[in-house]
Order: sequence, then structure tokens, then C-alpha cells
Amino acid sequence: MSITVLGVNHRTAPLEVRERFAHAVGEVPQSLERVLAAGARGGVLLSTCNRTEFYLAEPDDAVPEAVWALLSERLGGAVGRSASEYGYIRRDRDAVRHLYRVSAGLDSMILGEPQIQGQVREAWDVSKPVAGPVLHRLFQSALLVGARVRSETGIATGAASAPSAAVAVAGKIFTQLAGRSALILGAGDIAELAATCLVAEGVRVTLVANRTYERAKAIAEELGARALPLDEAWDHFGDCDIVLSSTAAPHAVVTWDRVAPAIGRRGGRPLCILDLAVPRDVEPAVAQLENVFLYDLDDLQAVAAHAAAERRNDIPAAERIVTEEVERFWGWYGGLVVVPVLREFRERMEAVRAAELERALRRLPHLSPEDRDQIEYFSQALLNKFLHQPTVALKEAARAGRGYGLLDALKRLFGLERRDGT
Amino acid sequence: MVLTSHFVALGLYALATVLVLAPFAGLRPAPRGLLLGVPIAGIAAHALGVTRLTPFMGVAPTLSMLALFLALFQVASEAAFRASAVAVFTGPLATGLVGLALLIGLVPEARPVAGRSPWSILHITISILGLAMLALAFIAAALYLLQFRELKAKRFGQVFRLFPPLERLDQLNHLSLVVGFPTVTLGVLLGFGVRYAGGVSVNAAQVVWGMLMWLVLGWAVGVRVVRHWAGRRAAFASIASFAAVLLVYLALKLTTPGTQRFL
Repeated sequence: MSITVLGVNHRTAPLEVRERFAHAVGEVPQSLERVLAAGARGGVLLSTCNRTEFYLAEPDDAVPEAVWALLSERLGGAVGRSASEYGYIRRDRDAVRHLYRVSAGLDSMILGEPQIQGQVREAWDVSKPVAGPVLHRLFQSALLVGARVRSETGIATGAASAPSAAVAVAGKIFTQLAGRSALILGAGDIAELAATCLVAEGVRVTLVANRTYERAKAIAEELGARALPLDEAWDHFGDCDIVLSSTAAPHAVVTWDRVAPAIGRRGGRPLCILDLAVPRDVEPAVAQLENVFLYDLDDLQAVAAHAAAERRNDIPAAERIVTEEVERFWGWYGGLVVVPVLREFRERMEAVRAAELERALRRLPHLSPEDRDQIEYFSQALLNKFLHQPTVALKEAARAGRGYGLLDALKRLFGLERRDGT
Repeated sequence: MVLTSHFVALGLYALATVLVLAPFAGLRPAPRGLLLGVPIAGIAAHALGVTRLTPFMGVAPTLSMLALFLALFQVASEAAFRASAVAVFTGPLATGLVGLALLIGLVPEARPVAGRSPWSILHITISILGLAMLALAFIAAALYLLQFRELKAKRFGQVFRLFPPLERLDQLNHLSLVVGFPTVTLGVLLGFGVRYAGGVSVNAAQVVWGMLMWLVLGWAVGVRVVRHWAGRRAAFASIASFAAVLLVYLALKLTTPGTQRFL
């Protein structure tokens, strides 16, 4: 019995490779079915933008090949390498530790990011029909470990990415972000990404302004906003609460002259301007206006870096929790493995005892029934004495998570592996 | 009983202050239950002591009651506004005021004093309550200006992380002023009533300066409510008016020193 994880993540594969491995939810059952057909008693596929990992219970030797073949097919000939060159395999305790670290956000690109917890839960949900009892327990415990690490350490505190830093900064100006209105300048991917983060906090994107009106209209429709040409945006600085700017302009487009009159009409209401463009869209002088709070990408990255540094301080504490929980799981799993083998061992020894006793008694027909009973009692007592120490040692080793070596020795010495087929 | 209650309150207020200040020293923030529970326990002990102090006599009981109201507002700010940073000011202030009251000397069994009618006690209690509210407005304004400065200067340190959002501090300042001013006004009116009906002697300077301060406070409220000042300007007005009240109080105390009278 064993647990294995095979996969790739953001440390081992570049984005163009990872995005080919990424599975949509609908593709997961088919891929799992194919891998399990190669010989495994359960499987879960965790696929996010940063990782694609197969968690397998008791995989046969052929399974890794099946996984790499499946992933290589998705890769096609695009990069001229096979999937296994980007991948890794972790077995048993290391596999458990790996999942726990993933769930706790310790293996994430942004340390402690919370989304992975939901992604682990979703992977478990989707794979439930074929996960099997061991992986079921493993994923259940992984979610608890993730929650424990986040609650007992500071690994998830602060805003550790630029978009979340944008939300954090705006959250230090306004009592609540829900219901605030936002104006988006520019229609690039960064603007769209940051807008999505704000919308997730309840901010209403009311206007999208761009030099190309059609592009603004496309994004505005997605966000339920109104599109307008960039030159008509300045007057709206008087109404909205948050301005998110990320145009492709080579120079500042938001200047003092353009926006000061509108901001003057705000009557002391704060305005948060998030300039995510490089080069910057907003003239630094705009920050001098009363109640205007201007932050560029460097500022947001400083917020994120500050949070990330604080999170890094908590890595040792988080790793301690992971180690403790790995041992707990392994104790349970070891016990699970030991029980059937011990039962088999005792049954085998009991059969030998009974057979030898019967043969001996056949050779001693003159014994009285009392004497026969005594001999039977003696054989049972002797067997129990012989089995006591190995049983105790194996159970203790299993509880401590070290049962596998002894279990293997037992199987080999008494030929148990031939009978149970493992 | 009075002294024991005050010593217990002093200890609990000091502990609450340490809990609030700990994150500024880089330690892990205390759970919200503790941030609320410790000062609430202190308030309970303190209230027990204050009830034994009536009728009020002198500076020490007045300081004790002011500390009690400040601690109450600290808990209310945390519970309603999640503004635990208010305790950065109210915590040491309440602790210091209780300590000062103990140093000056609390009289456990006050002797009945002529003119200390229930109206007089009501006048003192309401006036101190109003004063505590104005102190809360001052604290909210000070926190606002600190957070404003950090946000403008793009400094993302402990103040940025631990202080509440600007808008929330502005709301707290607004609410404290709008409720505090009528409370002070009621206290002043009761004071007039006590003076003329009860025949309590009051220095003319107190009346003149008291009225002047009432007008200054009225201006700070007026610019907020009537002229719709908000944010930094309103914070400055709030701080200026409260500072004026404190300065005048100190001036009056210096001209008529002694611990037998609050004013």
C-alpha cells in the first residue's frame, strides 16, 4: 500500500507548459479513469493554473508512465520535451506532506494565498467517485491542515499580491468597498484583472474608458458598466470613489489640469487612484490634491512585499504544523495497513499450529482426553507467546508511522505477499 | 471596596492597553474577544468602585468617572466600529486617569456636602460624559490625521495595517461630536440650574470661559453639520476645539488650585 503524487507546478514548469496541462473540471473524470486503469485503487486530480497533480492510492509500477503519457499528449510537440521532464514524484509521507503544504499555501506562488484551499476542495469533490477511502481521508485532513495553518499562523495575513494590495489600500480609505463606484481607464488585461478583484469585494465598476471605444465597450459589457472614450473620463473623477488606470499610453494621461476641476467638486470625499500602468498613467502632482490617494504599481508591490515578508516569518510555524499533521495521518494510515496483515499472519500461524497439533496427536493415540487438552493448550500458549512481541512491535511501529519496514519484513519472512497478491 | 475596585480596574485597563499596543511592537494581535473582554471586566470593577464614590467630591472622583466613560467608549468603538486603535489613546488615558485618581486620593465614604443634590450629581455626570465624548472625537480625529498622513506618504507600516479606514474614523469623529456637544450643553444647563436654584457659588471666570468654550465646541460641530466639513478639515476643527477646552481648564485650575473642586 502506498500514496503517490505525480505532477508539475509553477516551480518545475513554465506557464506555457502548465497551461497545456491544466484540466477543466469536465476533463478530470476522463483523465482519472485513464490513469486508474493503469492500476491504482484511487485517484484525485488537482489542476489549477499553477499545478496539475495526480494523487494516487496504491499505484502499480505502470501508473507513472500512464500519467506522463497522458500529460505528454496534452503537451503535443509544442516544446519538444516529454511531460516527465517537468514533473516530480513524491511517495508516501512525502506525498502527504506535499498535499498538506499545497493546501496550506506553503507551495503557492504567493505564499499563503487562500484560493488554493478552495481548489483542493473542488478537486476532491470532482474526484470523489474514484478517490477511495485513503485519499478521501487524506484530502479531508488536508483541508483541515490548511485551515489550521491559516488560523494558527500569520501565513495568510496581509495582501501579498499587487491586485490584493490594491484592494487592501482601498480598504484603508473606505469603511467598506461594497457599493463603491469605480472608473476603469484602459482596457488591458491588468486593468481587467484588478477590476475583477475589486468587483469581488462588491465594488461597482460604473465606467470603462479607453482610447479605443470598441475595446472599452467589450470590457464594460463584461463588467456591467458603461463605456466611454478616454477624453470624456475626466469629468467623472468628481463622482466615482476608485479610479483604476492601466492604459498603454507612453506618457501620463491623467494630469492635474484634466482632473483637478472635477476633484474640486467632491466636497472632501476621498478618491483612491490605483495606477497599474508602466509607464505611469497618472501625473504625480495629482496626489497633491486634497483627499486624493494615489498609488502606482511600485507602491502596491511594496504593500505586497511587506505582507509577503511578514508571512515568510511564519513559515517555520506552519511547517511544524504540517509535520505534526503528517505524522498523525501516517499513524492512522500505518494502522490501516497493519491490521489486515497482522490478521493474515495470525491466521497463517494458527493454521500451522492446528495442522502440526493434529499430526502429533495422531501419533499419540494412547493419550487421555485430559492430556490431549493439555497439549492443545500448550500449543496455543506457545503460539501466543511467539506472536505477542511481533504483534506489539508492529502496532507500535505503525502508531509511530514506521510500520512499513517491519511490515515488508513480515510479508517476506512468512510468505504473506504471495497470498495477498501485493 | 472603592480602592480595591479601582486597583482591579487599573490592572485590567493596563492589560487591555498592552494587548492593543502589542501588534505595534511586532507581536501577534490579540483575539478580539480579549480586546473586548479585558476592558469590559475593568469597566465592571471600575463601575462598582465609582458607585461607592457618590456624591462626587473633588478632582479624583471626577477623573475616575472620566476614565470609566473613556473605557466604555473604547469598548463601544471596538464593538461598533471595529476601531481597536482608539484604545491606543483611551487605554493609556483611562489607565493614567485611574492611577492619578488613586494618587490624589479617593475618598471611599464621602461626607454629605451642602449643595450636592441629585441635580448636582446629574450635572457632573452628564458634563463628564460629554467631555469623554469630546475626548473620543479628539482621539478619532487624531487617528484620522495619522492614518491620512501615512496613506498620503505611502508608508505601509503598522499604522497602515492596524488603524481603521479613514472613513470609519471620520464617522466616529462625527458621531462623537454630534452626540457629545448636546450632552455637554445639557450638562452646562444643569449647571446653571444647580447654581441659581441651589445657591452654589461659581467663579465668574468659570462662567465666562465655560460659555466661550461652549461656543468653540459649537463651532466645531457647526462646521461639520451645517457646512458639511469632513475628513482632514473636520479633524483639525475637532482637535482645535478640544485642545482649547483643555487649555482653558488647565488655566482655570492654575488660577484656583486644589483638589477639592473639579472646576
